[in-house]
Amino acid sequence: MPKNPMQTKFCDLMGIEFPIIAFTHCKDVVASVVNAGGFAVLGEAMHTPDDISADIKWIRSRVGDKPFGIDLVLPASAPGADTLEKLLAGIPEEHKKFAQHIKEKYKVPEPKGAQALHQWGGLNQDIARAQIEVILDEKAPAFVSGLGSPEFMLKAAHERGMKVFGLIGKTRQAKRELEAGVDAIIAQGYDAAGHTGPIGTFSIVPEVAAIAGDVPVIAAGGVTHGRHLAAALCLGAAGVWTGTIWLACRESDNDMIIKEKLIEATSDDTVYSRSVSGFPMRVLKCPWTAEWAKPEAPKTLNSPYQMLLSSDYIQAANDHRRADLMFEAAGQGVAFVESMKPARQIVFDMVEEALAAFEEITGELPE
Amino acid sequence: MADTPRDATPGFDAAVAGRRAECDGGGPVLGTRYASRQEFAGTITGEYVDHGDPAWRWYLMTDLTLKPEGYPGDTVWCEKNSIFFADEDDT
Repeated sequence: MPKNPMQTKFCDLMGIEFPIIAFTHCKDVVASVVNAGGFAVLGEAMHTPDDISADIKWIRSRVGDKPFGIDLVLPASAPGADTLEKLLAGIPEEHKKFAQHIKEKYKVPEPKGAQALHQWGGLNQDIARAQIEVILDEKAPAFVSGLGSPEFMLKAAHERGMKVFGLIGKTRQAKRELEAGVDAIIAQGYDAAGHTGPIGTFSIVPEVAAIAGDVPVIAAGGVTHGRHLAAALCLGAAGVWTGTIWLACRESDNDMIIKEKLIEATSDDTVYSRSVSGFPMRVLKCPWTAEWAKPEAPKTLNSPYQMLLSSDYIQAANDHRRADLMFEAAGQGVAFVESMKPARQIVFDMVEEALAAFEEITGELPE
Repeated sequence: MADTPRDATPGFDAAVAGRRAECDGGGPVLGTRYASRQEFAGTITGEYVDHGDPAWRWYLMTDLTLKPEGYPGDTVWCEKNSIFFADEDDT
């Protein structure tokens, strides 16, 4: 009897049925995926410790003892912070004029309220520590660091019976985190939405799998179909980390306009652009990214200046639900976001598609 | 470092002072739920700050020979595990 390819060492580690991890900012998606037999991780980078505590309790009330994860973006580097006024004063006049030109050309209205950006606390290790403390207090089943190394809090997490995963973009980062003792490594490739590493998914996954030993490697970047899951397992991964595929699902709290854009989009409709934040990130194309890509545009500024420039465009687009202006971070696998399916259906479809892909190759399915 | 953190303990590590290194840096994008990666190369001064307990150690890197385009200034704080020394084998 052939081995069930879905029964991986990540499934054994976490006690789950399917090696599919949903990364989402919507706790309804977390609950649905977990209850469907997958694993889900809630992104909490922007949330206060009180909100994080409430979210963990909410999820537990919906999934019982089934495991789930909480993700934070731990910083790996930090410049000296500065006051908002000094930062705004640091934006060159040429860039302010160019941003104004975009707003006039596309008739971008004023944001309805104070910009969320201007109310956020900024780069400060105290924020991350307060968030981590509550995740430890609540003993979330798993903590995921979406960028920096979680090494400093590994012992505290393991003492509480928690698992810790690290998301990396280069093999040397994986080696460092494996040596520290993470329970799983998420190898994120260039196809991913948002902050990707410089190496393609097809390249980084087997490279990291070759050094990971018994530690499960999770493939991330461009995974939206069961064929990607099957391919990831063949590359040596023990599961897949998925993000874009959940953005348009029925449970997602994304604006309907964004869901429709995602459904219409193909891999050619994303761009790796510095124009949103000053950092390169993969997003759906929109007028803002298109204008900054033109030869006559000034060079994008570094963060946080570029983010300060783009923030009222973004907030206005969302406040006024301007479909022509709105965008979202999305990976190159967006072509397989084809409808607003329930999250559990996405899990089951992905598993069936993967098994069908294996059957095409081997001619038989496991019992 | 920014707005002197409440549980920060500065120090100096002579063993790393003056060594050339790369930093696989980055962090949360201000005001958003997104993150981004940034790469730096420079000299570790030896100065560090330990945040909280357990200590989350950050080293100061200066004389930057690699930094993102438009990055202001010539210094960056790097989390200990994001630093890869030029004289070490990372493979």
